[in-house]
Amino acid sequence: METVLSINKLTKNFGKLCAVNQLDLEVKRGQVFGMLGPNGSGKTTTLGMLMGVTNPTSGSFTWFGEPATHHTRKKIGAVLEHPIFYPYLSGQKNLELNAMVKGANSANIEKVLDIVELSDRKEDKYRTYSLGMKQRLAIASALVSDPIILILDEPTNGLDPMGIAEIREIVKRIAADGKTIILASHLLDEVQKVCTHFAVLRKGKLMHSGPVDDVGKGEETVEVMAYHDDLGVLLQEFVGSGSIKKDNGIFQVMMKDGFHSQDLNKFLFEKGIITSHLMTKKKSLEKKFLEILFEAH
Amino acid sequence: MTSYRTFWVICGLYFLTLGFTTASGMEILKWIASKFEDFGSSLNVNRIPLYHFPDIWQNLIYISGLFKLVLSVMVVISITNEYQYRTLRQNIIDGMSRLEFVLSKVLTNVLLSLMSVAMLLLIIIVTGLIYTPDLAFADVITGAEFLLAYFLEIFAFLSYALMLGVFIQRSGLTIVVLMLSHMIEAIIKLNLFRESLNPSIGWLKQFFPLESITNLVPLPFARYAFQEIQDYVSITAIVIALTWAFLFNYFSYLKLKKADI
Repeated sequence: METVLSINKLTKNFGKLCAVNQLDLEVKRGQVFGMLGPNGSGKTTTLGMLMGVTNPTSGSFTWFGEPATHHTRKKIGAVLEHPIFYPYLSGQKNLELNAMVKGANSANIEKVLDIVELSDRKEDKYRTYSLGMKQRLAIASALVSDPIILILDEPTNGLDPMGIAEIREIVKRIAADGKTIILASHLLDEVQKVCTHFAVLRKGKLMHSGPVDDVGKGEETVEVMAYHDDLGVLLQEFVGSGSIKKDNGIFQVMMKDGFHSQDLNKFLFEKGIITSHLMTKKKSLEKKFLEILFEAH
Repeated sequence: MTSYRTFWVICGLYFLTLGFTTASGMEILKWIASKFEDFGSSLNVNRIPLYHFPDIWQNLIYISGLFKLVLSVMVVISITNEYQYRTLRQNIIDGMSRLEFVLSKVLTNVLLSLMSVAMLLLIIIVTGLIYTPDLAFADVITGAEFLLAYFLEIFAFLSYALMLGVFIQRSGLTIVVLMLSHMIEAIIKLNLFRESLNPSIGWLKQFFPLESITNLVPLPFARYAFQEIQDYVSITAIVIALTWAFLFNYFSYLKLKKADI
């Protein structure tokens, strides 16, 4: 697959503080790439460097295989941190300015306003918009040049559940159009729901990078419940059991590599136990994320 | 920018005051004369050729030059707003280069300067034609070169305001520094060039940035008290001011190029 973004040993120091440290990363076309990390882990600084507003201390990156200039930025739609517009202009007028800077066709404005469902309020001044509308206008402005790649930094920050769901729907719709998206967030749930790939940053260092689907792979946990007094003992006899925890009368069996829930079920069945509850639990991104951060300590 | 209400209000006020002040000098003179008459003495307003070609050029242009502070405050607001609302950052993210950004601001300054020149040209031609008793073509043209000096005076000062805005980034502080700069420069000059200290380096004074801008159009009114004045545009002053204008804008660019925004 074609590489859209390639980052090579990118570093940024603010005085003594190292905000981004020797970061290497690749994003390929069509990926929805989640950048995870606690607040202050260097996500926005990294995006700032990629978008030419922050000067890197060292290292380099290429967009579409070529060194970045302001022309490459025109092919990227980006919203960093909170939405930024001229407060005393209307949404429509702000988008016109954006389109002018990007050299985009202003006929797109109507279309992107439709996508983010702001057409009714386009003549109102930006000042009067609610936070959710501001975020949506920001996404519209990022889309106005019909970019190859979209960068969203905390697009649901500070929104109510409705607003979060709306933005998530918009992002999914855009991703379905085949656009590459880089989504920085500290909301793990959000990344798991919309992203195909993710990277974890901590104190400016890359801790992990890979497909979201891989998170569930590897050892799995099986929840078992059965009306049998010796279930705990029996479970320990099973060769595939790793650690076993009992929680609210339900046994949580961490399986060894290569063993799955059906193996456990078969084993119990042969022992004459019929389970009343058997569930395979894949690791959530949240768990993985905390693991990654914990390992780093 | 163009829909920003403060911009239009300041712009309107500037051109209104500029227009009224420059155009109403004659009426003020007449008023003073009438007061004189009240006290039994007389003053012939036509003896003071304030609005007569060719004097009118330097007279009105000098007065108008005093209003450039108003215009420069507007420039400061326009640049510091870009920082405050972070629109500069978004513009860069959207694919504007930093050079393009500086150029857009410098071009606005050029436009404002040109508008001031056009406004003044109109007022001078109209009032000059009304008040000059005997018109001779040669007299009308003489002194028109002050318009060029005026353009440079405005443009250089706006460039200075722009640079302050780029470096300080906060509107209030920038405006205060802008208003105090003449005084600060005067204090520096006073301390550097005390006659007793170094009489030989007095000529350096004209190279100071604000002094160089002021020197473009020298104070004309002393001539009505029978004093010798400089009634021409000095090429040296033009060159120095032009250099400063260039440097101001170049410094703005350098600062912007290096900054994380």
